[in-house]
Amino acid sequence: MADPVSSISIPTATTAPWKGPVALGVAGLVVLAVCSVAMPTFLVNNLIRAFLYAAVALTVDLLWGYTGILTFGQSAFFGIGAYAAGLIFTHLGFSWGYAALALVAGIGVAWAVSRVVGWLAFYHGASPLYASVVTLVLPIVLVQGIYSGGEFTGSSSGLSGFDSFDIPIELWFFIAGAFLIVLAVMAWLFVSSDAGRLLVAIRENEVRCEYLGIDVSRYKARLMDTAAVIAALAGFLFACVQMVVAPEYAGFVFGTELVIWVALGGRGSLLGPIVGTMLIDVGSAYLSGDLPYIWTLLVGIAFVVVIVAMPRGLAPLIAGGVRHLVPRRRRAAAVPVAFCSAQARAQDHAHDAWPALSVHDVQKHFGSLKVLDGITFDARAGELLSLIGPNGAGKSTLMRCIADGAERSGGSVKISGTEIGTLAPYDCVALGVGRKFQTATVFESLTVGEALRIARHRVAPPSRWRREPTLALPQPALDVLRTTGLDRMSDRECRYLSHGQKQALELAMVLALEPHTVLLDEPTAGLTKQERTQIGEIFVALSSRYRMCLLLVEHDLDFVQQISSRIVVLHQGRIVMDGGVDEVVGSELVRAVYAGESHAGEPRVGELNSEGQP
Amino acid sequence: MLNLGLDVVTTAAILFIVSAGLLMIFGVMKIINFSHGAFLTLGGYSSVIVGHAGLNWWWSVPFALLTGFVLGIGVERFIVRPLYARPLDAILATWGLGIIVGQIITLVFGREVQMVVSPVDGAIAVFGGHYSVYRLILVGVAVLVALALGGLLNGTRLGLQTRAVIMNESLARALGISSARVRFMTFCTGAALASAAGALITPLSSVDPNMGVPWIVGAFMLVLVSGSSLLSLALASLVLGGAQVLVSTFVNPVLGGLTIAVLAALLLRLRPEGFARG
Repeated sequence: MADPVSSISIPTATTAPWKGPVALGVAGLVVLAVCSVAMPTFLVNNLIRAFLYAAVALTVDLLWGYTGILTFGQSAFFGIGAYAAGLIFTHLGFSWGYAALALVAGIGVAWAVSRVVGWLAFYHGASPLYASVVTLVLPIVLVQGIYSGGEFTGSSSGLSGFDSFDIPIELWFFIAGAFLIVLAVMAWLFVSSDAGRLLVAIRENEVRCEYLGIDVSRYKARLMDTAAVIAALAGFLFACVQMVVAPEYAGFVFGTELVIWVALGGRGSLLGPIVGTMLIDVGSAYLSGDLPYIWTLLVGIAFVVVIVAMPRGLAPLIAGGVRHLVPRRRRAAAVPVAFCSAQARAQDHAHDAWPALSVHDVQKHFGSLKVLDGITFDARAGELLSLIGPNGAGKSTLMRCIADGAERSGGSVKISGTEIGTLAPYDCVALGVGRKFQTATVFESLTVGEALRIARHRVAPPSRWRREPTLALPQPALDVLRTTGLDRMSDRECRYLSHGQKQALELAMVLALEPHTVLLDEPTAGLTKQERTQIGEIFVALSSRYRMCLLLVEHDLDFVQQISSRIVVLHQGRIVMDGGVDEVVGSELVRAVYAGESHAGEPRVGELNSEGQP
Repeated sequence: MLNLGLDVVTTAAILFIVSAGLLMIFGVMKIINFSHGAFLTLGGYSSVIVGHAGLNWWWSVPFALLTGFVLGIGVERFIVRPLYARPLDAILATWGLGIIVGQIITLVFGREVQMVVSPVDGAIAVFGGHYSVYRLILVGVAVLVALALGGLLNGTRLGLQTRAVIMNESLARALGISSARVRFMTFCTGAALASAAGALITPLSSVDPNMGVPWIVGAFMLVLVSGSSLLSLALASLVLGGAQVLVSTFVNPVLGGLTIAVLAALLLRLRPEGFARG
């Protein structure tokens, strides 16, 4: 389910992207300063807590709303920050030096714990459910640890009565509010920057990201580290203001409450979760006294309704209201990204001594079922090699075995002379393999320009604070965009593209990786006759002009005949023929294989193999 | 020593009974029903109602099955069905349902702990020692639950269709099996089982509006390591439940309470398929 993100983001001008957020942030600080003296004390007290909760909710939103990692564990990091202060102030006493020590300790421990959680939760092939499970176990373990700490941790009643900073409540109000505002402005700049779009790309299609050379697991782990540090900082401030810490603040129930606030406010927007958290927290401070159970019941009902019926929360409603009030605001004045030509990277001629792709005795079996058996062939730069064979012959499996080192059961695959071993897809991309999937795989809610920038992530890391007005792409990718007219649609969201345009965009994304070897799995499936001719010409140009090695899986023999320089026939997991175009297309064997006479050609296999080698 | 062995077996039986409903739903629908705890609580209060009505405690089991099934109908229709394509959201919505049920029970019965009369008293002599009769009965109940579910899955037409949906839902649909009906029946059965489990644990645990919550995480972890197989669940209950008893006895009870969650999380990291097929 792709829900568009940052529905309340106010358009970012390309010239000075930081101006809008920073101006609003400064305005927020001024309002804060006024409120700190004008508001009644009860409200000020509650708002301090709400500000800090909102800061943690913001980290939940970055992890879950933007990136798709459902976490119940941010409460644990909040608790770690709070307990660091509580424990040090209780057992060592309070001084500015100890406060600094507590801050460093809280952040350090939170960071270390987050590294462990990251190792557990994020690895190549991990399911999103598993990551949630790990974040669920974390607060449970932590709280049990606090319970069993006896006098030292205060067990179930927590720690209270320790000294803290001697500053007036109004100043705390300003500090907590400023913390939230600074955080929100930084988050805003980040999520609307070029680098921030990667969060959405990961949420929408993690596998595509990995095959674009991005180590998604590492990225998620770093994001969680950052979120952990922020939550610990909020926890530290909380303990300093409230001068009390209790296991509930580290617990799993608080972790789920954070998720509830974010969901109600609107995941994937920044203002939504902040507003949601503050309304519910302050609301419960006023109402839960009068209506103790009814209030929780109402929040529960609202939560279920929002999850089921309005997955984007209340943010779109707020945004609609704002737009209604300020009707003539410049709407999305962002200039579409312009594509330009990237400087060709120095060609590594050392590689030319090796075949672009060398597959030796590759096996793949599921239990006793052999899907690939003894696959051996070389492919050189400039070759357009087509793999044909009936359904179930193992063509797509072979593609997977080349692009992901963990796939094959035996044998070796070398890319430009380097053995891929058990490398993950993103490392195979670094060796020069680009893979286009069978079904067009793009990022539905990103624009064409953003999707291509994600593809350039590995080669040219994007800015974390702004959006670049131009995007440099290698010539082959530009050619694809120009031929298909996509170069004039850089600001169109991928979901609105036609099927053929999606196929072309994915091809351009793969070419943006500057691969030496390109794997194309049925790239013409579902295309019109004209689109097919266009894409065929592009393939020929890629191999002849740009000296790439193309490996193409196709069913359409006419198409294959027109563009290939060589054809390999796969049948029941074995290579039954490998040779020039005319030789293969004209052979009895191919006709037999396609007609389903599986054993007709077997005696001739060896003979053809030896003849067929170029 | 003998007591320890009985503790392991009875703990495994209790864990199996408590998790079976969750496993049914996860196996077929690939959805984690986080309102499982609420259904356990519902079952617990079914016992309370039966007690107030002056009926024999054993009536609470069929009564809990019924209330669980009926509530399951509504939940499947209005909460689970729309979220079938969003499994992570289904976790959240069912958790929200748990909050709602907990609050309604609090409004009706109050927050205090309810007393339930135990159906059987005391201990009997087993191999020269003494052991709680009720815990031993639960071992029999666990076997009954396993046999009943196994019979349902392997002996009925709906069970056959359910197994087809577990293995390959799109193929099953293509063959004319109404997967919506299978999912509906599965959810209601799972909910009824959870509710019955809640009634069955009342003689061992206190009945209060949050009585289900402590069970959720353990049941959840057991189901994750078991995939969709009852046999794996039995094995997982025995191994992880056994580890829990051993750690509680020989190390300390707090760590014992964490054993299942931590071991299961590590197991899934090292072997993502868990106890399934192995």
